[in-house]
Amino acid sequence: MRRASRPAIGSHVFLIVLTAAFLAPVVWAVLSSLKEPATIITDPLGVDPGSFTLGNYRAMFEDVPIGSGFLNTAIVLVLKGGLTLFFAPLAGFAFAKYRFAGQNVIFGAVLLTLMLPTIVLVVPLLLQMRELGWVNTYQALVLPGAVDAFAIFWMRQVIAAVPDELLDAARVDGCGEFRIYVSIVLPVIRPGLAGLAVLTVMNIYNDFVWPVVVTSQESMQTLQVVLATLAQNITGNRIGADFATVWGELLAASSIALIPLLVVFVLLQRHFINGILAGSVKG
Amino acid sequence: MTITRSAAPARRPSGRRPTASRRPSGRRLAPYAFVLPFVVLFLAFGVYPLIYTFRLSFTSWSGSGPAQWVGWDNYTYLLGSDAFWSSLADSAVLWLLIVPAQVVIALIAAVLLNNAKLRMRGFYRTVALVPFVTPLVAMAQIWIVVFDADYGAVNRLLGAAGLPQLDWLTSTTWAKPTLALLFLWKTTGFAIVILLSGLQSIPASVYEAAELDGASRTRQLVSITVPLVRRVVLFLVVMQTLAVFQMFAEPYVVTGGGPYGSTTTAGLYLYEHLGRSDLGTGSANSFLLVALVMLISLLFVRLLRERD
Repeated sequence: MRRASRPAIGSHVFLIVLTAAFLAPVVWAVLSSLKEPATIITDPLGVDPGSFTLGNYRAMFEDVPIGSGFLNTAIVLVLKGGLTLFFAPLAGFAFAKYRFAGQNVIFGAVLLTLMLPTIVLVVPLLLQMRELGWVNTYQALVLPGAVDAFAIFWMRQVIAAVPDELLDAARVDGCGEFRIYVSIVLPVIRPGLAGLAVLTVMNIYNDFVWPVVVTSQESMQTLQVVLATLAQNITGNRIGADFATVWGELLAASSIALIPLLVVFVLLQRHFINGILAGSVKG
Repeated sequence: MTITRSAAPARRPSGRRPTASRRPSGRRLAPYAFVLPFVVLFLAFGVYPLIYTFRLSFTSWSGSGPAQWVGWDNYTYLLGSDAFWSSLADSAVLWLLIVPAQVVIALIAAVLLNNAKLRMRGFYRTVALVPFVTPLVAMAQIWIVVFDADYGAVNRLLGAAGLPQLDWLTSTTWAKPTLALLFLWKTTGFAIVILLSGLQSIPASVYEAAELDGASRTRQLVSITVPLVRRVVLFLVVMQTLAVFQMFAEPYVVTGGGPYGSTTTAGLYLYEHLGRSDLGTGSANSFLLVALVMLISLLFVRLLRERD
């Protein structure tokens, strides 16, 4: 660490302003979601904790299929997240600790997938899903991109640091290769796996482009897709709803969608930052 | 898959080099089994759709009935169409509004946070990542409410401060800056963390030597910090450039591409072909965007190489 001098007052001002800017929209949304709808519009800047109400939340649960959105997101999280967390380190293991013919070609495929922008695959994938009759199905939400290329790339690096002696000792004991993965590699790389888990959960929870394209039925839409069509949903289900009511429900839904990840983030911060920094390894 | 012995044995990370005969067959076949799930998904949901779409980009097809071969028509149509170029131009303007500002803000914040004597460093770093973990779509909804011209909190705040209130989302002048603000808000914390990690990789001895030579703090920043974090900054610029040119959810939710198409980004324009069932043109557009993205990546890679 460099020899540091006491930071000037200007540094604090800069950082405090930045911090306030980062927090303001979230804090404002959560506080406003607790206000009477009318006051969100008449007094957007005022806060009166005495008059807080859960009315917006109650109305929102009635008007918006947010429950099914949460459920679908949870299902995709478990299935897709499970596939990535098990198979990506497995492939990373193969790349890090084995030499096999065709290895470079297959690893090239990993790198290619990494570089290909998501949006470009959207049109081709949707056409394919139509052909398969998979539009509005869980397999369409889960399978494309399930064994994430970036996860493989990262886990290859993490597993390369596992000492070979550990693996060889297990082989001497008669351990099969797959057993070595499950009972030696996975436990040893637990910190890396935790980082990967947090990053994967965040990516899947926030994923929007692919789910919005491949789910047209309300019952199959993930939370983010439900959120994106909120305004239409609210006005559609509550004929003649005024501006203030719609906004109240909109803020309630957005706030409730923010909370799960913020809780995960606060609890698992260290793993989170590791996960994000692993992204910069790519460079 | 066959194992060709002619394949040159690449460097083994373990240092040991057992010959195939000494290796038990389980160990020889295991890596293939391990990469199989990825390979299967890659072939099924990567290679196949890409080839399929590449063929489609030379046809005119609306999603049903026979596709008609049109040669390069889709490409020449796009390259001659104002809408295509204006979608790229919109993305370029957004890039100008976002990337330089983000690099400057993040660099200042990272340099400040790299000071060990700064109080509440951990707190600042944590808060910086709050926007990054919030769902973009939820924030986009909040943006609509906050930047509403009549009832939004931002205009109310400006009014209270005696400043002019703006048509943030409904004027062609301000819609792009409003989206740029959302993107900046969402990703600047991430940029700070990336740059901070770059700064922390500079050994303290470098600064100590400079200090001994009598280099001022500003001089150290210009002559040591900036050149050494250049790679990280370039990495950040590449990532954000690619992200801006693929920007989709922000305009989709906040402005729907309007007003008057002023926020129809390259990513959103691509999606609009789907809505019109214009799949041949959509496919061609996909490949033009791939070409552009690859070109940008190569350009930056060259930049990195040349300066080193």
